Amino acid sequence: MAGITIEGVARTFGQVRAIDEVSLAIRDGEFFTLLGPSGCGKTTLLRMVAGFCDLERGRILFGERRIDALPPHRRSAGMVFQNYAIFPNFTVGGNVAYGLNARNVAAADIERRVAQTLKLVHLDGYEERWPHQLSGGQLQRVAIARALVIEPEVLLLDEPLSNLDAKLRVEMRAEIRQLQQQLKITAIYVTHDQEEALAISDRIAVMQNGRLEQVGAPEAIYRTPATAFVAEFMGTTNILTGTVAGREGELIRIRVGGQQFSARNADAPPGSVVTFSLRPEMLRLLAGDRAPPGWTTMTASVARVEFLGVLTRLHLRLADGALLHAVSLDLLPEGVANGAPVTLAYDPARVTVLRRP
Amino acid sequence: MILVARRDTFPFVITLLALGFLGLFLLYPLFHVFAASFLDRTGTSLTLGNYARVLSSSFYLGSLYNTLIVGVLATLITIAIGVPLAFCLARLPIPAKAALLALAALPLVLPSFVAAYALVLLLGRAGVVTQWLREVGVPFTSIYGLTGVTVVFALTLFPFVVFPTLAAFKAVDISVEEAGQNLGASRLRTFRTVTLPIVMPAVLAGGLLVFIEAIESFGVPFVLAEDKPILAVEVYKLFVGELGGNPASAGVLGALLVACTAAALLVQRYYLGRRRFSTSARRTPPELVVAPWLRRLATTYCWGVVLVALVPFFAVIVISFLEFRGPVLHANFSLDNFRELLNQSSRPLVNTLTLSSAAALLAAAIGVPIGYAVTRFRSRISGLLDVVAMTPFAVAGTVLAIGLVISFNSGWLVLTGGWLILVLAWSVRKIPFNVRAASAILHQIDPSLEEASVNLGVSPLVTFLRLTLPLMMGGVIGGMVLTWVTVASELSSTVVLYSGPWATMTVVMFQALESTGAGIASAAATVLIVVTVLPIAFVYRLLRRYELAMM
Repeated sequence: MAGITIEGVARTFGQVRAIDEVSLAIRDGEFFTLLGPSGCGKTTLLRMVAGFCDLERGRILFGERRIDALPPHRRSAGMVFQNYAIFPNFTVGGNVAYGLNARNVAAADIERRVAQTLKLVHLDGYEERWPHQLSGGQLQRVAIARALVIEPEVLLLDEPLSNLDAKLRVEMRAEIRQLQQQLKITAIYVTHDQEEALAISDRIAVMQNGRLEQVGAPEAIYRTPATAFVAEFMGTTNILTGTVAGREGELIRIRVGGQQFSARNADAPPGSVVTFSLRPEMLRLLAGDRAPPGWTTMTASVARVEFLGVLTRLHLRLADGALLHAVSLDLLPEGVANGAPVTLAYDPARVTVLRRP
Repeated sequence: MILVARRDTFPFVITLLALGFLGLFLLYPLFHVFAASFLDRTGTSLTLGNYARVLSSSFYLGSLYNTLIVGVLATLITIAIGVPLAFCLARLPIPAKAALLALAALPLVLPSFVAAYALVLLLGRAGVVTQWLREVGVPFTSIYGLTGVTVVFALTLFPFVVFPTLAAFKAVDISVEEAGQNLGASRLRTFRTVTLPIVMPAVLAGGLLVFIEAIESFGVPFVLAEDKPILAVEVYKLFVGELGGNPASAGVLGALLVACTAAALLVQRYYLGRRRFSTSARRTPPELVVAPWLRRLATTYCWGVVLVALVPFFAVIVISFLEFRGPVLHANFSLDNFRELLNQSSRPLVNTLTLSSAAALLAAAIGVPIGYAVTRFRSRISGLLDVVAMTPFAVAGTVLAIGLVISFNSGWLVLTGGWLILVLAWSVRKIPFNVRAASAILHQIDPSLEEASVNLGVSPLVTFLRLTLPLMMGGVIGGMVLTWVTVASELSSTVVLYSGPWATMTVVMFQALESTGAGIASAAATVLIVVTVLPIAFVYRLLRRYELAMM
């Protein structure tokens, strides 16, 4: 087991900078997720760690050991592929034993370790089955067992759940997380699903255009996104741009069109232009009750109501005509319907001023 | 300084070995052919005199003209026959479609000069049909000349158009057609403006194969062209001429022949490079519901074309069991022809069987790793290998053979007079096919399987041997059988390269043709047909999955 250090890594494909000077320090035993839209470079970065993609610049270390010049078959990085990549010409047992055979492990040891690892992924007794007899979820478990049985220094997972149906995906991600914690293995997990990333990661790196947009714990990434890209990628939000009209201690007042917002921010000087994110669930509808102390209130009218099951989305029109999204978990207060006037409140501490791109 | 281990040592080694082999047995001989065409009589100084001499001769200019005419006509006719056939097979309810498809593929592997010879037996001067026609009073003389050559090409090469076009018709996403109709176009208009443009690249790819096969063919014009000069035949005649041969003029004609095929390949590559439609059909088009008379018409057409193409082969088999008195055929059953054939010697049959096996193994042993390297490891040097490995496709067998003779007739490596030179020529000629077949299978094998293996600590070489090769095996064997079958009836390089004890069945037939031994020739032709069809029938199921790799 070892941490992974990525230093100044870069790679260009033709005109495209696939990986643009990326540096990361992944801690020993950490579950680290690379998150981003397709084409952002997350899979390329993972394949660099595995050894399937050459680096132009930079280095990669497992612990103190530099590995970026090693051929992939000598890296000890167990990988789980997006499409499982189960060898169709071997049984389940043969698949799991494949890496052990390559290491000249004694036959009795192989048998014991294969059985042990299959048990770990709840496939005990499946040694003799053929891959075509298994379901997608079972194939996924074989792929994980096959990567773990060689006791790799790090575990690499390339969108391992994207081929499973939604319900199974939620089950498997919990299982993968639990397995990783049990084995205390350093893991890099690639996904484009922000919910999945939030659910299982110790830390997340959000990537775009081959660069790291932000690295941090799931809560930090969600609550205090650094850029508009991260804020929007991590879920629906209201991104607004305005001018700082004044400051009262830690609070700044921001003028957006004809509307005034407030946010807690230390450095934006009055007169400067700022972009900020206000998550829909941070907007509370006041139905006769008073806003908590320190909160900011504003009025709007309901433009559209969308019922989404677990929550209800409101499209609100502000006095100056601008649109704002809000979300309510509960039943809507009496009288909230299209065209109705509503009063909103939010905590300025939960408004995030974003880094200008 | 850290010594960086090459990640791709394995494909690099494959590429170097393959380039070495192809360099020695393909490029070096070709170089000699071109060199011969540019050297003067003393063989010391460069000259364009050979070209001037050959191109000012109306006879050789005529051979160039005839070759191109036959090539173009064959291409147009096979497209005219093949596209409707492919459409019917793809979209209409034709009875016994599977059997029809299997039979339609047969002319591709059956030796075409046997079909040519059958045409001579039927429609030649003393042909069965010719005589009957004369008796009935039809003033038919014979099929010899460019007409006969074109007819044989049309009959034997049309599957080259049918199979890729059929695949393209099946790959057309039906919703594209539905969109066309939804936008108000009639069925016919939709076909013309939507479907046809989508299948056009496949039609042209097939047509190109026909053109190249037609202009490279030695056996068919040799049997049928008679007094009409054809490049591939004249190259041979000049080289092995009774007056000691004329390598300079043979070199000029050989270079012209290679230039024609190379030009055709370039034109196609340029055209297809600009028109690449991704046809990722979600739904294969369903069969059309048509009026019964139309269905009957389509059925008659499809079965008619396929059966007519096989008639020459049936005819040869039947005739080989009849009695010849001199060149005259009598309608009595007899095994004399076979007795006579085997009385000469059984050596040619043994040669055909063993040397073909050696060539099939060698072609696979070289072609499959090349296919692997160029498919899985894209780099500048593998791109070069891809081009070089496809070159034999553009080189007529006669020309390659002449190059091999010039190159390995003397010096540090002498191969002429032995069996190895035959095996080398055949396997070099079949390498493009083996490369294509291998990469066709590889495209069906997810590369992440190999990555998973390497990731688990298995080196690329061992991964190839333990994982990839077993997964490719079905296709590799299929490719080897098709290679075996086609080299067993190879004629164009064989007639240049064989010597004394290493004559093959095709040579026996060739010699029998030259010396009016019609009985032996027909028996040899039957043996060749059997030798071809049996292995194919044996691995038919295996081959069906890879039939499209043949292009």
